[in-house]
Amino acid sequence: MTEEDSIFDPTLKKKKKKKKTFDIDAALAEGDTVESAPSAADELFKDDVDDLDLDLKKKKKKKKTFNLDDLDNALPDKEEGEGEGGNQDDVAMDDNFDLELDFSKAKKKKKKKKDLDELMAEADDKQEDKENVERLPDEVDESSVQWMSSDRDYTYEELLNRVFEIMRDKNPDMVAGKKQKFVMKPPQVVRIGTKKTSFANFTEICKTLHRQPKHLLDFLLAELGTSGSVDGNSQLIIKGRFQQKQIENVLRRYIKEYVTCHTCRSPDTILQKDTRLFFLQCETCGSRCSVASIKSGFQAVTSKRAAIRAKTA
Amino acid sequence: MSIQNLNTFDPFADASKGSEDDVQDGLVHIRIQQRNGRKTLTTVQGLSSDYDLKKIVRACKKEFACNGTVIEHPEYGEVLQLQGDQRENICQWLTKSGLAKPDQLKVHGF
Repeated sequence: MTEEDSIFDPTLKKKKKKKKTFDIDAALAEGDTVESAPSAADELFKDDVDDLDLDLKKKKKKKKTFNLDDLDNALPDKEEGEGEGGNQDDVAMDDNFDLELDFSKAKKKKKKKKDLDELMAEADDKQEDKENVERLPDEVDESSVQWMSSDRDYTYEELLNRVFEIMRDKNPDMVAGKKQKFVMKPPQVVRIGTKKTSFANFTEICKTLHRQPKHLLDFLLAELGTSGSVDGNSQLIIKGRFQQKQIENVLRRYIKEYVTCHTCRSPDTILQKDTRLFFLQCETCGSRCSVASIKSGFQAVTSKRAAIRAKTA
Repeated sequence: MSIQNLNTFDPFADASKGSEDDVQDGLVHIRIQQRNGRKTLTTVQGLSSDYDLKKIVRACKKEFACNGTVIEHPEYGEVLQLQGDQRENICQWLTKSGLAKPDQLKVHGF
């Protein structure tokens, strides 16, 4: 190890200087992460310990980026949200990720570091990652090491597989994409007479979604192409016959567009109106994206034309 | 290799195209409206005015065995109106005939 150190000395020095604070943190946290760095405890020289810490961190960083990719892949429908977020989003996402996985592993402690430094160090870390992986075969998992012994170039797929294997090993609870379900009460839809429908728990659902009743009302009426209003006992009366299933469909579309974050799908969002446009601000990942305004569009004449004429004339 | 700076570029090219399109970025809205009883109406808004809507509605009427018409609206342009719930049919037909891409279609209603 020392020999190899001498080869990589200049860069490592630089690193150390740059991230002194982390090293202290890392050293402090070392006690509870022995299992992830079995050789760390044996090292007596300060230098070596530092090196190891750095390596560990780099590995973790790499893992994290892949996790992000994974998350991204798991979100097919966030096209609009992504473009404007940019760097800030990424950082926010990192934070978010830290929070989400915090309970699973103690090593998370070490991951809490300044985002700025991380961003700065990201570029050269990526290059060094590969070297480090090869340099420290003792702390690599045994599962996918067929190429560890040889000197040949490994492919991207191999690295990716390895990362995912490590990820699964360390967090068995997040294997299947880790979907958190957003449970809410079904809408209570009752027919009133033959021509009207009552949506009984309308305000309740607005409350669970944290949305203005007016906004949801606008959306429902525009989508269903009818008229309606909220009556005295806070239920919504819609003109026309609708079944619970149909209302559920529309509600689902509303939640997808106006409640869940387009980037991380968290339902913990705020809808703000800003210069005539609605923006969806996510409380979990901090992303902010504009959402489509509610337009009812073309409405065909369905009532008796004579009646309309009588009304307007 | 072409030099990008020297390419001729008409800054109004897509502007004129955009005005022809629709109010909203080329989306085709397919809506359903309830009439009296079990009857419904399907409206198709936002088809490009490059197409002859009369011919389209003629083909649709034949294909779906329903009546239909083209309505001129001051704000939304020409709107197809078909009798009955033709949302599925019109989506398939529009994509099959290449008049609209699947991601351009936006189906509203229950």
